[in-house]
Amino acid sequence: MTNAQSMQAILPVITLLITGMVVLLGDAFLPFWRRSGVASGSLSLLGIVIAAGFALDRLSHQPTHSLAFHGALSLGRFTQACTLLLLLLAGLAVLLAVTYLENRRLNRGEYYTLVLFATSGAILMAAANDLIVLFIAVEMLSVALYVLAGFARSEPRSEEAALKYFLLGAFAAGFLLYGIALIYGGAAISGLGGTTNLALLHLRQGSVPGFMTVAGLALVLVGLGFKAALVPFHMWAPDVYEGSPTSVTGFMAVVVKVGAFAALMRLFIAFAPAAAYWLPAIQIIAVLTMVTGNLLAVTQTNVKRMLAYSSVAHAGYLLIAVAAAATPAAQPLALQAMVFYLAAYGLMTLGAFAVLAWLSHRDADCQTLSDLRGLVRTDPAAAWLMVIFMLSLGGIPPTMGFIGKWYLFTAALQSHQLWLAITLALVSMVAVFYYLRVVWTLCFEEGSGISVSRNTLAPAGVQISLYVAALLSLLGGIAPIVWQPLMLAARSLGRMP
Amino acid sequence: MLPVSYYLILSALLFTIGAVGVLIKKNPIQTFMCIELMLNAVNLTFIALGRYFGQMNGQMYVIFSLAVAAAEVSVGLGIIVAIFRTRESIVVDDANLMKS
Repeated sequence: MTNAQSMQAILPVITLLITGMVVLLGDAFLPFWRRSGVASGSLSLLGIVIAAGFALDRLSHQPTHSLAFHGALSLGRFTQACTLLLLLLAGLAVLLAVTYLENRRLNRGEYYTLVLFATSGAILMAAANDLIVLFIAVEMLSVALYVLAGFARSEPRSEEAALKYFLLGAFAAGFLLYGIALIYGGAAISGLGGTTNLALLHLRQGSVPGFMTVAGLALVLVGLGFKAALVPFHMWAPDVYEGSPTSVTGFMAVVVKVGAFAALMRLFIAFAPAAAYWLPAIQIIAVLTMVTGNLLAVTQTNVKRMLAYSSVAHAGYLLIAVAAAATPAAQPLALQAMVFYLAAYGLMTLGAFAVLAWLSHRDADCQTLSDLRGLVRTDPAAAWLMVIFMLSLGGIPPTMGFIGKWYLFTAALQSHQLWLAITLALVSMVAVFYYLRVVWTLCFEEGSGISVSRNTLAPAGVQISLYVAALLSLLGGIAPIVWQPLMLAARSLGRMP
Repeated sequence: MLPVSYYLILSALLFTIGAVGVLIKKNPIQTFMCIELMLNAVNLTFIALGRYFGQMNGQMYVIFSLAVAAAEVSVGLGIIVAIFRTRESIVVDDANLMKS
């Protein structure tokens, strides 16, 4: 691609960044703007819609050549599919934040700016074809999220979450960068210097990588594993998810996963010729993550904490797709399964957090199981939506979660990794227990939960977000065909030069 | 000129010292300094390798890494100051409001 074409292909990210800056300036200089979050929220939403328009336009032109900016970014159809997914999730997160921030008196315009910046970081993570670009994208996402985690300033839990997230995130960034440096050194072959470009790394890859490359790959896996909350790098997740404001937790839980898994996929597909060296590690981490996440989720009484462990477990499921991509024949299916599952996971998790955000008001943040007691009598709409999301997270047919697991299962079988498929099926049964416990609490438990106050401010935001998430995830379960365009686009990472 | 392996071993040692420091230090400022040590050890690796290969990009990456580290410092110190204002202590062991 020429430079002009590259700029055109990156328009979604540029739109998001400009919108973010406009929102920040508006909040600083226009007094009427500051009184409510509606202005900042709707402007951010407009930016996200325009960015999605650019991404759709590019997707419809069927780009054949995907490498932009001299190979630094890969902006093919896979990237556009991830971009659209991220923009959808970010849009829903903005809508739910308008209500939540208003109710919790946290209304400050920079929230939306940070969400937009974090989203562009995640998009760049999915697009990064050069490891150093990947590092910058990861940091763009993370630094914005550190601030967001501590957004409820003066609330000790939120500050504590921000500190923990920051210290562990920066620690992980060190590992990521060192891994990149080692891969850079290990990639040098006689006469040609080192490189961090994944396409070039793919070409220079023999089936026996050097020591530096293997060590580098392991360190990059540690770094990205922290971001995606893979066991044993998941310790921060429950505390950070619990302490952060609910709207932030929902956003963080979904957007980081999409970015991190797109990046992991691209990285390990580039190193596919040397799969013998990394595949066992991925398989072991996948099994550990699935088992640990699900077992720890069973004992939680705080719903946010339970969802944190459940997101760890889902990261394990998603890692099956990465393992499956090691077999070239199973690659298209693995990519499709990953994007579909990311969509399913994103909608269900964001939806569950949106219900919690809807029920929170000034004096009470809804987060424990006892807050949800008997909700079906006090607020049937919220309760039934929560039931839909819980059943979908549990993978009960005919929900999107079930179809997503089915795709992952097939991908594992197609790449002849039978025991990953068996583990997936077994741990899913454990998972059903703790999701159904929420349903039980909602529907059958006596006593009163959180007081439902109907004077919620700006309720439209969270309602739209909830209904859209519920509708899309139900459609994904009953008629997965609606997700077909996205999945077809995700079939291939694009041509390696 | 020293062989490149000297630089690589030195930076691996610095990185390890930093990583161990992060795990044992209780004060977030000290933890943070250890993280900076890790990042700077990586910078040394990049520069040494870039110079060894006779390439500019290894040295260019250091600029990126420095810029990112600066952004991280500003956010991190901001968080630490905010915590100190609310609870007059920044020791990591006091940050234990959430337990499973």
